[in-house]
Amino acid sequence: MTNETQTAANSVADPPPDRAREARAIAIGVAGWVVPGLGHALQKMWGRAIMFFAVVGVLVIVGAGMRGNLFRSEGGDAFAALGYFADLGTGSFYWLAKYIEVGGSDVSHAYGDYGTRFLAAAGVLNLLTALHAYEAARGRKA
Amino acid sequence: MKFHLSHLQAMLLFALMISIAFGFLSRRRPLERVKYIVWSLLLFLLFGIGIGWAMYPFSR
Repeated sequence: MTNETQTAANSVADPPPDRAREARAIAIGVAGWVVPGLGHALQKMWGRAIMFFAVVGVLVIVGAGMRGNLFRSEGGDAFAALGYFADLGTGSFYWLAKYIEVGGSDVSHAYGDYGTRFLAAAGVLNLLTALHAYEAARGRKA
Repeated sequence: MKFHLSHLQAMLLFALMISIAFGFLSRRRPLERVKYIVWSLLLFLLFGIGIGWAMYPFSR
């Protein structure tokens, strides 16, 4: 078997390492979105993992505790859809916020309005950290 | 679980949390992170309080 034939046979048998790395990076990014900080924990970036988990957790707990508006899928307009997208960014913490906010939102007070911002900021921040974990897994300097 | 934070408390907490997250996202060395967090927090507070005072003449 010539060298070229052998290389071609190997490339069919084993996926290229870049593809495997990309798949792993995507899995890490998704894990980081579902559980804040998990994407970094899987890469043994413990400090970042703990801090991102804590920061997103505090923002969600305080936001829900302030009775911020937790958007739902049946929003109706573009702003509600954007709000839902931002809130979903918290991953599994979206259900934590739902669990805390049993009385529903109350944006008739200033703190309720602030709570809405806290929840949205937590979601967007978590998306950012998940993206950071994905980039780190791809080998980008992080 | 309910939180009734004042405007200033909410701003302080928000600024602190976002500054910590940005510090950990963008810096690797501990000292650089601390410097970034403190600097970012100060800027958040400066702009927050500054914009608050800038709006004061229009509030009445």
